[in-house]
Amino acid sequence: MITIKDISHEFEIGKKGNKTIIPVLKNVSFEVNKGEIVTIVGRSGSGKSTLLNLVSGFIRPKKGEIIINGVAISTMNESKFADFRIEHLGFIFQSFQLIPSMTAYQNVELPLILKGVKENERKHRTNEILQMVGLYDYKDHYPGELSGGQQQRVSIARALIVNPPIILADEPTGSLDSETEEDLLNFIITLNKELGITFLIITHDEKVSQIGHRTIELRDGRVLEEAYAYEA
Amino acid sequence: MRLKDQFQFVRQNMKKNRTRLFMTILATAMSVAFLIVLASVGFGLHKSIVKETLERRIVTEIEVPGKEDENGGYKQLTDEDIAYFEKIIDVKAVTRRKSLQEYLFVTGNHEVFAQAVVAHMPSETKAGLELSKGRLPKAENEVVVGYHFVEELHPKDAKDDLYDERGQIKDEYRYKEDLIGQKISMNVIKLEEGKEVKEPIEVTVVGIRKQPTKEWNYDNIVFVSEGVLKQVEDFTGTPRGILKDSNNPDVEVPNIAADQYDQVKVYAKDMESVKNITNELEANNYPSYSVINELKDVNMMFTIVKTGLIFIGTIAILIASIGIYNTMTMAVTERAPDIGIMKAIGANPRTIKKIFLLESSYIGLIGATIGTLVAYGISFIVNFGLPLIIKQAFGEEPPEELTFSYIPITLPIISFLICYIVTILSGLRPAQRATKVDVLQAMRREV
Ligand SMILES: Nc1ncnc2c1ncn2[C@@H]1O[C@H](COP(=O)(O)OP(=O)(O)OP(=O)(O)O)[C@@H](O)[C@H]1O
Ligand SMILES: [Mg+2]
Repeated sequence: MITIKDISHEFEIGKKGNKTIIPVLKNVSFEVNKGEIVTIVGRSGSGKSTLLNLVSGFIRPKKGEIIINGVAISTMNESKFADFRIEHLGFIFQSFQLIPSMTAYQNVELPLILKGVKENERKHRTNEILQMVGLYDYKDHYPGELSGGQQQRVSIARALIVNPPIILADEPTGSLDSETEEDLLNFIITLNKELGITFLIITHDEKVSQIGHRTIELRDGRVLEEAYAYEA
Repeated sequence: MRLKDQFQFVRQNMKKNRTRLFMTILATAMSVAFLIVLASVGFGLHKSIVKETLERRIVTEIEVPGKEDENGGYKQLTDEDIAYFEKIIDVKAVTRRKSLQEYLFVTGNHEVFAQAVVAHMPSETKAGLELSKGRLPKAENEVVVGYHFVEELHPKDAKDDLYDERGQIKDEYRYKEDLIGQKISMNVIKLEEGKEVKEPIEVTVVGIRKQPTKEWNYDNIVFVSEGVLKQVEDFTGTPRGILKDSNNPDVEVPNIAADQYDQVKVYAKDMESVKNITNELEANNYPSYSVINELKDVNMMFTIVKTGLIFIGTIAILIASIGIYNTMTMAVTERAPDIGIMKAIGANPRTIKKIFLLESSYIGLIGATIGTLVAYGISFIVNFGLPLIIKQAFGEEPPEELTFSYIPITLPIISFLICYIVTILSGLRPAQRATKVDVLQAMRREV
């Protein structure tokens, strides 16, 4: 489902003539299979977010190749990749990334609007998803009027609404307390089991990494080991 | 993204900063109103002048002053030319006149100075000559006089207080009898050894022409026959009875052929055929003068004036567009985090660009609509109020057909187009910037 082939990435810092090159990822290769939950762990600064941003297409790799669903994303231009992203990828961010001027309902509906889905179909689907994440009663609340856990559920609803085969999550529980964290993890497991959604989750939380069928550890930009598989 | 949703989205976005939006729309509306009102003055004056021209002239009349020859010279028209004119398609009549001099006409105690002209009566009739009294001449010494000929007849004495304050001859001096059938003597003059010699030629008035329909037309011409012309020429010994210069009696008077005309007018069947006839004449070296020529000049001049006014108005819109540019740039900056999120979840950069272009064109179109409505209002007030003000200030009524401001439907269309193009152009860069928002940077800022 996701193939990462020999990815290397570095950042350039500073102005011309005084450039520092920060190597972040060095020859990273691994694969995520369909229906898998793969977690990526590693110390702060080890390059986890960078790796996920590369998979998300928010940055382009300096070297190597990323193939999602059989398509090499480096071959796509920005516009094409946008269309690809809305079809195939759902995102969950540590800081939720909801649009503050839109209600929970509108935030969840947004990807369908961008996709060009008709209004009554949108309405049906949005309400369904809000019900599924248990936020139907809060649909007219603005993000500022919701708790952190509720906001994260809104963002999950937004990720789920287009039925993406893959969900990418960067520290999804980072802003949540342990009880809410547990709810979220259970929800992820359910989604994986019932809808067969593939997850690639970044975390430095052991509880989170434990839900992965496989865990990949990054250290100094290299894949250190592939850890245990999770038995359902 | 569906168009309907784009509109919905834009409307929602525009609500985010109402004051700024209002000011931008206000500036745009003002500039559009300025353009329309300014140009409407050009359109109004143009309309007034065209209307006036059409009223002043007989629109089917084409004056042909002569024929251009190969050397760039000018030839007076003769029967040969007339015969050709009469054959041109859609020509109703060709009038041709030979002018004599102004003579003192005397009947009993009354007299008047008037121009004697030999006219071709059948063509004059076809061209629309109408008599108010009497009939057309049949015999050599019968004449038809103009309406003002009778009006201006006055007693030989009492020269001082002849006219009243309206410039007309006082009632007590007017000629009260029936002029039809009256004998009038036409006093022809020639110079002999520096002295004037007078010879009265007796003519009989058989007809009086109708009062000209246009108030300012003055008609005191006397239509005489070829026979009278011959009598005049025999007496003076010069063509058309031209007077020799009393100071230089040896200078020869110009030679004028017998069938040469001083004034030739071609009358078209209707106004539509005037153009074709003029073109035909032009092609055969007959320069002509008609309502077409006059309007052509007027139209040309006003096209320039109107273009100039629209250009000045466009500058106003360009200035307003700076406001739109500014508003859109700020909107993009403010909404960068939202744009970042939208891009992250898969919004196409093209969609984002379209949304922002839509927003700026929305501002432009709302502004243009309001501006157009305001312009119509101002135009109405000006047309209604300015005549009143002029009357108050100068104590004089402005001409009735004068339109100060006229907004033809093309004017709002032109201003909408200009406004739309300008807003699109000014929204282009901000919209481009919106597509370039960096997802990661935008999302980081929000945290
Ligand atoms: N835009 C950037 N410009 C320059 N350097 C960057 C940029 N983004 C990340 N880095 C550097 O790359 C390295 C890896 O960062 P990254 O965010 O991938 O780490 P991480 O593993 O996600 O850490 P954390 O667990 O704290 O989120 C860090 O040293 C960071 O300073
Ligand atoms: Mg990180």
